[in-house]
Amino acid sequence: MNKILLNNCSLKVSQLISQLFKEDKPVISKPLSEIKSLNGFQMVILEECEDPDQSISQIKKIRYLCNFRNISIILFKKQKDKQPIRSYLVAGATEVLYLEDPVPIISQILQGHLIPDRIPSEQEFDILKPFIDNTVLMLKKMAKLDCVCNKDDLYFSSDFNIFGDVSGIIGLSGEAEGTLIITCYWDLAQLIISKMMNVSEDDIDTEVIHDGMGELINMIAGTSKKAFVDTPYHFELSLPTVVMGSGHHIGHPDEVSVVIILFDVADQSFALQVCLKPKNKKKTN
Amino acid sequence: MKVIVADDSLLMRKIIQNELDELGYKGVGAVNGKKVLEILENDSTDIGLVILDWNMPVMDGLEVVKVLQEDKRFKEIPVLMVSTESEDARINEALKAGAKDYLCKPFTSEEIAEKIIHILK
Repeated sequence: MNKILLNNCSLKVSQLISQLFKEDKPVISKPLSEIKSLNGFQMVILEECEDPDQSISQIKKIRYLCNFRNISIILFKKQKDKQPIRSYLVAGATEVLYLEDPVPIISQILQGHLIPDRIPSEQEFDILKPFIDNTVLMLKKMAKLDCVCNKDDLYFSSDFNIFGDVSGIIGLSGEAEGTLIITCYWDLAQLIISKMMNVSEDDIDTEVIHDGMGELINMIAGTSKKAFVDTPYHFELSLPTVVMGSGHHIGHPDEVSVVIILFDVADQSFALQVCLKPKNKKKTN
Repeated sequence: MKVIVADDSLLMRKIIQNELDELGYKGVGAVNGKKVLEILENDSTDIGLVILDWNMPVMDGLEVVKVLQEDKRFKEIPVLMVSTESEDARINEALKAGAKDYLCKPFTSEEIAEKIIHILK
């Protein structure tokens, strides 16, 4: 059963949450400093600090600890003041609520965020398998790194907010269209690229990481392409693009679902977003 | 001996050039096919091999192979295609156009070293 984490919440918030969820979900109260991993948690709730920058910093840290898992981060503001909520959303918060809002509304919103994301069916997983296998192969061959993808760590994303520091993006077109995106936090991108070049991480500069992320997604897409020849999912590749900056938001074509595939490399993770739809079919993957 | 390494990816050029260093060859980088031809036009005397990516802007690897085959000055310089294009039809297309050998990305350092050594032996 997935848990809810309360981070430095007041008694008022703690009581509210405990009352809302009662026996349904375990609610655990712990400060951020004692959290090493958010595995097993479905939601993290925190209260706005006096200093908004401190709240932003906490949200960023929590989002980083999420390791690309779809864990909702809920911030409770004490009052409707002038502090824009957008800064919290950009930092990684999923929702910003007010303590003075009616309890039924708060309950409804929180329950909404606890609805689990759809996971791929067996048929959908078969379509995703080439991308998974080729990502693992690429890291093994080029960086001599072992990475693991657990079937439990695939989910359809409904809000496209995948937080990370750098993404390599490649457009797919032809019989099928969509995008393929790899997103990492900086440390892991640096590790992977340095291993590929067989140099120390200190010898890697931003330009090489920028270029490397483009090449990584190019290789994943290029090697996966072969698996879809003579199928409705066959595609050609565009030239890759790279986006840098924490909290970047990437859009996708309308009416196409996006599958997030998580890969673990030692104690870090990266995400592969797969968005692929045959042109002549309405059904999405 | 010099080896031209043509790939629009800086990272890939560095990886291949590192391997060439290990083997005792000097790598000369090119960001696209047009640059490869410029390098050869300037001075091709010491160029023993051209390593080409397929998908590059301005001029892609396959075009370069065809141009080199049609030019008596450069026809004998072997070409190793290194690309994510792994469909048999594409590989055959490159070899038929004149590439000496083909290596699919991703590759290990041992795999590319073996290809380079085999061509230059």
